[in-house]
Amino acid sequence: METQTSAINYLPIVFQMLVALGFVVLTMVLTHIIGPKRKSKEKLSPFESGIEVVGNARQPFSIKYFLVAILFVLFDIEVIFMYPWAVNFREMSLEGFDGLIEMLVFMGTLLLGFIYIIKKKALDWE
Amino acid sequence: MINLVWLIPLFPLIGFLINGLGRSFLPKGAVGFIGSLTVFLSFAVSLGIFFELNGSVTKSFTIQLFDWIQVGNLSIPFSFQVDPLSSLMLLIVTGIGFLIHVYSIGYMHHDTGFAKFFSYLNLFVFFMLLLVLGSNYVVMFIGWEGVGLCSYLLIGFWFSNPAYASAAKKAFVMNRIGDLGFLIAIFLIFNTFNSVEFAKVFPQAASLTAGSDVITLITILLFVGATGKSAQIPLFTWLPDAMAGPTPVSALIHAATMVTAGIYMIARSNILFTLAPFTLDIIAVVGLATAILAALIAITQTDIKKVLAYSTVSQLGYMFLGLGVGAYTGAFFHVITHAFFKALLFLGAGSVIHAVSNEQDMRSMGGLKSKLPVTFYTMLMGTIAISGLPPFSGFFSKDEILAHAYEHSKLLWLIGVIGAMFTAFYMFRMLFLTFFGKFRGTTEQQAHLHESPASMTFPLIVLAVLSIIGGFIGVPEALHGNHWLAGFLEPVFSASEQRTGASHLDHSTEYILMTVSVIAAVVASFIAYLRYARNNHVPVPDTAERTAFANVSYNKFYIDEIYDALITKPLNILSGFFYRIVDKTFIDGFVNGLGRATAEAGKGLRLLQTGNIGFYIFIMIAGIVALLVYGFYNI
Amino acid sequence: MSVLITISLLAILVLYLGLFKAKKALLPVSILGLLGALSLSFYEWGSYAQPIYNGMMLFDNFAAAFSGITILSTLLIFLLSKDYFERISSNIAEYYTVILFSLAGIIVMVSYHNLTMLFIGIEIMSVSLYILAGIKKRDFASNEAALKYFLMGAFSTGFLLFGIALLYGASGSFDLLEIRNYILSAPQEVSPLFYGGILLLIVGLCFKVGAAPFHFWAPDVYEGSPSLITAYMSTVVKTAGFAAFLRLFLFCFSPLSEFWSPVLVTLAALSLLIGNITAVYQQHFKRMLAYSSISHVGYMLFAVISLNGSSDTSIFVYAAAYSIASIMAFAALILLQRQVGTDSFDSFNGLARKNPFLALTLTVAMLSLAGIPLTAGFIGKFMMFTSALSTYHTYLVLFAVLNAAIGIFYYFRVIVAMYFKEADRHELIVSPYYRLVLGLSAAATILLGVYPELISRLI
Repeated sequence: METQTSAINYLPIVFQMLVALGFVVLTMVLTHIIGPKRKSKEKLSPFESGIEVVGNARQPFSIKYFLVAILFVLFDIEVIFMYPWAVNFREMSLEGFDGLIEMLVFMGTLLLGFIYIIKKKALDWE
Repeated sequence: MINLVWLIPLFPLIGFLINGLGRSFLPKGAVGFIGSLTVFLSFAVSLGIFFELNGSVTKSFTIQLFDWIQVGNLSIPFSFQVDPLSSLMLLIVTGIGFLIHVYSIGYMHHDTGFAKFFSYLNLFVFFMLLLVLGSNYVVMFIGWEGVGLCSYLLIGFWFSNPAYASAAKKAFVMNRIGDLGFLIAIFLIFNTFNSVEFAKVFPQAASLTAGSDVITLITILLFVGATGKSAQIPLFTWLPDAMAGPTPVSALIHAATMVTAGIYMIARSNILFTLAPFTLDIIAVVGLATAILAALIAITQTDIKKVLAYSTVSQLGYMFLGLGVGAYTGAFFHVITHAFFKALLFLGAGSVIHAVSNEQDMRSMGGLKSKLPVTFYTMLMGTIAISGLPPFSGFFSKDEILAHAYEHSKLLWLIGVIGAMFTAFYMFRMLFLTFFGKFRGTTEQQAHLHESPASMTFPLIVLAVLSIIGGFIGVPEALHGNHWLAGFLEPVFSASEQRTGASHLDHSTEYILMTVSVIAAVVASFIAYLRYARNNHVPVPDTAERTAFANVSYNKFYIDEIYDALITKPLNILSGFFYRIVDKTFIDGFVNGLGRATAEAGKGLRLLQTGNIGFYIFIMIAGIVALLVYGFYNI
Repeated sequence: MSVLITISLLAILVLYLGLFKAKKALLPVSILGLLGALSLSFYEWGSYAQPIYNGMMLFDNFAAAFSGITILSTLLIFLLSKDYFERISSNIAEYYTVILFSLAGIIVMVSYHNLTMLFIGIEIMSVSLYILAGIKKRDFASNEAALKYFLMGAFSTGFLLFGIALLYGASGSFDLLEIRNYILSAPQEVSPLFYGGILLLIVGLCFKVGAAPFHFWAPDVYEGSPSLITAYMSTVVKTAGFAAFLRLFLFCFSPLSEFWSPVLVTLAALSLLIGNITAVYQQHFKRMLAYSSISHVGYMLFAVISLNGSSDTSIFVYAAAYSIASIMAFAALILLQRQVGTDSFDSFNGLARKNPFLALTLTVAMLSLAGIPLTAGFIGKFMMFTSALSTYHTYLVLFAVLNAAIGIFYYFRVIVAMYFKEADRHELIVSPYYRLVLGLSAAATILLGVYPELISRLI
């Protein structure tokens, strides 16, 4: 069978999307219009297994948390680069030490960054 | 020597730099010396080049300094052209320029801006030399703009006086109108000939047929440029106002050199103009009309410098008449002689003004003959020369133009002769009012009367000698001369002359023409003598009644008022309209509306997005969608 | 390619200098390092004609020339930074480092030969800029600028990346040469994905250079960021963006120019219009510069629109002229903000009387930005217009000339204020570093205006 793509072939999909979208919009509009509205204190307060709500759920985090988290992600991601290198290490070592030196440069750069972080006391919580 | 031509503009540039940078600490003596010396060095080199060129077989050299602009097929080298036309012009600019620098040492001695003045003057000479030397229209245009700038700076030299500052502005604006024409002409030339080099354009043009549309358009636009710089109808009113500048400036820029740039440019492009007879007719008519109109105005002016200014406009009109009737040599001849005697007259006027404590109104002068003998006799020479009395220089050049005009049309000649009569009349009127009769100024001024210092009289004497003998470079055949100038300039104009044919008036006709114009001039000067010297007639004060004609003439034919009513007022109204209606309502409304719309949209979108950035992204998305829709339809 | 390595190492060195409290050495070391990188880029000029690093980079004359001008501009900005960062924060070394990192990204951007390198270069540059925009930690406007820039930048990066992905999907390679061969092998049967990719790349790159309608970030970010960073963003970054733009379109997409050139014509016209019209109504110098920089983007797009033999030269000359003049303007702006406290046009009144040198150099800068003859800006505009005319975009040029006339209006406002309006004011103190930068830049502007051949043969 020949595969021919033209815009007309996608028409069913367009219809499908229109119907899906139309259904959602229609239902939301209809419930908004014809549904009963009661606004009382009880109705608007959040329901938490019948227990009284205490305080605000959105408490501020310490900014240091984000710093540590971001630094973690950074070094974590860099490790991923080790995988393709390790997989190809055998082939590279056949051609000499280039592969090893390149990785050393990479790690060296990371290490410099790490020393910087330590010296700047970015990981000290206090 | 010709290879050293780059030295000529370099010297004044160095002078400008030294005087400009050292203006706060260099002593006045050093400034004046450096300013004059640099121009003198240029003059010396120019002289050497002139003699070398005169002896050489080749008459045109192009000296390329460096590649200046090189884009695609547009190549504009920064190069100079040395040929008879430019070498003569070099002599005028540097020679007269030097004399005027020397004169300025005395004239500007008391001014606080002494060094500034000299640096501007040097800069002017530099740009003027670029204009003259440029071997393509672009380099010429740079010089053209540069001299316009210097003229602006020097007219407004005493800028603390608002009237002077506005005169400078007027000159600048009027020049810009002309420059626009010149600029468009350069574009057209490049478009037509694929080059702006003289050496490439002119040979190509010579092979074209006469009267083609594009040549006519180019030449008309070039002429528009020339009317601005050389003060022709309709752009001449700036020149009389330009007298606000110091007198040496009037002599150098507004009489001898810059204002003749238009004539130089047309003479340089003569082949283009020869191919456009229609443009030539326009030039002849405009030139003659300017000559007459300015002469009529000059008759009643009372400011000594205004008389000379209108006289300059009038003489420039004669030069254009010459160009228009194909007398390129004659027109350029008049450029040379006019440079001599008009520079002389202006410097003389400056000397007079200097003597009577900066009074410029001739009604408060008179009887200065005995007090200022050198000034008087030199100015007398200048007056005779400009009036066209033989054997002074003006006679030969004016006569050559008029002879060609006669050949072209007898009417042009007749009007030209009448104009020459007026010239003789107003010039002698000026002379008699200034130097004859009794002194009419205050006693304080009278006590102060003195002849100017040697630095001022020396240039006067040199120029007077040149005004007397300057005409002998172009004695016509009819007077048994060999017209050296025509022979020297022959290579420049030969292509044009091949097309138009040489002059063929027979000698007896020429004698008659000469006799008529000489008689006319003599009669006119005699009338002036009767009225102003014998009868001591003095022009009435501003408040008194005048006859209708005198009133119109005294008020310069109300040209400024007419321009004001026809151009400035409507423009103001139009700009008011644009400001109130278009600007306030539409543009402001649009811009404010855009701002409000942004705010409103931001407000409206706040329910979905947080703040303005959402709107920004919204617009971005709209743009992206538009692009994708475009892409969808264009794949 | 040692230019890139030099700059990267320099950045780390400066960072460590800061760590070990060698504050006095920061600026001299940075400047010396940049001078070294600059001379290396001249040294390597003409030495590579083939791609290096497995076809990832191509340090040809184009790259060398653009590296040279970006390094030079950064150098001038560094000279202006004496005592600048100290007033803002205590972490001075970090700012030099981040600027140097973004410069490293820029070097990648001007010398990529692979779309992944383009992306990496743009990201290294952009992430650094997000930080730089917000270096006034306690200043609300600076924070807002950083956040806005980051959000919109991240958004546009998505399009850039998507565009690259589509190109890869259609051609099967990131390599510029392969992509070019893909188009040339069958120009009639290029996949629709590819066209979509071109459009999305246009979106991404136009955002980076700030072309309308993707420019909305520019005025807010320029205004909010510290002036020196704004100078960096509007000169070096813009130059690099255009180098990247031109390299891609000149090398890869030129056979399909019929498709994309109408898009760029529209964007160029829109940028000119919006930039100029809004700049006219600004009352503050900095905001005027921000809007006018959008209009300059419009002019520079001309070179991309009219791809021909000289468009790389013309964009180079324009970018050089624009960068140098802008740096002068920003130098004056910094002096004014620091010593007068405001940068409204009124604060320029009477400057010429008290600071003739500053006023003169600023005048040169304004004339160059407005494109007045005998300045470098004129040559730049002239080259742009000629190249656009050579491809018969007559109406575009006409429109641009009209816009240039509008531009003259607002640039001359500054000159008029300095020379023709009187005001009682104190003399501004111009430090020797500022004098050096202003003097050198003014001289360069005039020199290039008179003799553009000096740099126009570099490419």
